[in-house]
Amino acid sequence: MLSTAFMSTFIQALVEVPTLMAIRATELVFAWSLTIQTLEYLRMGQYTAQDAFWSWPLQRADIPNAPVRALLDVLFKPHMHQLHLVLRLCAAVALALQGASLPLIGFLFVGNLLILIRWRGAFNGGSDFMTLVVLTGLLISQVVGALGNVELGWQAGFWYIAIQAVTSYFMSGAVKLLRREWRNGSAMTIFLNGAIYGPLSAKHLLRNTWLALFGSWGFIVWEILFPLSLLDPRLAAVFCAVAALFHFLVFWFFGLNRFFWAWMCAFPAIIWCSAQFSARFV
Amino acid sequence: MTEVLFIAYFLVLVATLVIKTPIIKGPWLFLMRAFFPNWKFFHAVGYVPHLYARSAVQLVTGELQWTDWVLIYPRRVRRLSHLVHNPDTNIGLAQQNMVDHFWADLHDLPEGVDPRGLVSYKMMQRLCDQVLRARDVNFTHCQFELRMALDDREGCADTQVMMTSPVEVVAC
Repeated sequence: MLSTAFMSTFIQALVEVPTLMAIRATELVFAWSLTIQTLEYLRMGQYTAQDAFWSWPLQRADIPNAPVRALLDVLFKPHMHQLHLVLRLCAAVALALQGASLPLIGFLFVGNLLILIRWRGAFNGGSDFMTLVVLTGLLISQVVGALGNVELGWQAGFWYIAIQAVTSYFMSGAVKLLRREWRNGSAMTIFLNGAIYGPLSAKHLLRNTWLALFGSWGFIVWEILFPLSLLDPRLAAVFCAVAALFHFLVFWFFGLNRFFWAWMCAFPAIIWCSAQFSARFV
Repeated sequence: MTEVLFIAYFLVLVATLVIKTPIIKGPWLFLMRAFFPNWKFFHAVGYVPHLYARSAVQLVTGELQWTDWVLIYPRRVRRLSHLVHNPDTNIGLAQQNMVDHFWADLHDLPEGVDPRGLVSYKMMQRLCDQVLRARDVNFTHCQFELRMALDDREGCADTQVMMTSPVEVVAC
């Protein structure tokens, strides 16, 4: 009887510790990603000033509803916006130190929506989308947890994040596979030439047709096969390691540093879901 | 059952790539599009919008002396430290995204409607003004143009003008 209880507790701990690790890893990496984003926003005050390019008095015409527009007029006054960003920074630190809670994640979620509106729906495209995915996953975990089932909350939250992240790789690879310019390798050189760091030098390796072709097909195949990462957590770890390299290269060539950190936040959920999926079905 | 749902999910994803459906649009959907990511990054090569601007000084004869057209396109210097702090590059990328939005707004504009009412048009005006002013603060008139550029491996293969703004008198 005692040994049965011990074994039960032992197995439960084995199941729970990876979950706790995944929770903590997600919270820490996400807090770091939010901190990077928020510090960057805080440096952009000159671009969001009243007479600047991203001026709210110009953008407010995008808001179709008058009462909402009036509310946003108050929230997007330069000092209010800066205050919000400082509070967001504090919330990111609190997330790293204390972990997720419903008020904290609720504040970050609503704040994130406000920031998206301030930048006409997205500031940095994909990284905003993935940040919102992770934030939504955390919100799911906290709302379901507040309703009484913390474990189910984290399961649902992690699966939401993992499915979206796996979908992001799969879709990104699949759309490239359908394009002739990606299949023949020319798209990679063309996009790299148009990148923010300037055109590739005349002798750059990626101007080589065969290397560009090999690189294009390497990433297409890897992205399309990403759903296989759910079959084994070790395989998931390998897929995530390649993903980290891929995002680093995207940062290096296109300057998209936020992509690197935003997708990194999803890796603990992918590996955790892979462990769950493989334990149950494989 | 879960395996079936899992496979069905990816089959639906593949179907969305092949089957074209009508695009639902609306101001709130646009602002909240982060909830509906399509995860299609850098997928299609084709004509991309480029913003050009030029300024002029009015001579005593009344004639306008124009500068050459200037491409307003962000270019930055790469640093490893940008992995953790990169506001300048990110604002440049956001600026180029805005040019893309302007193109999309123009594309969707019904025939005969004045584009000067668009928020994105006004933002382009501000952007051009800011860039031109950094080059010469004394200009009296300005103008911008949206051109569609098609690149190949070697560089620009073709350019077409999509819109040229009226000449604006700059408020002093």
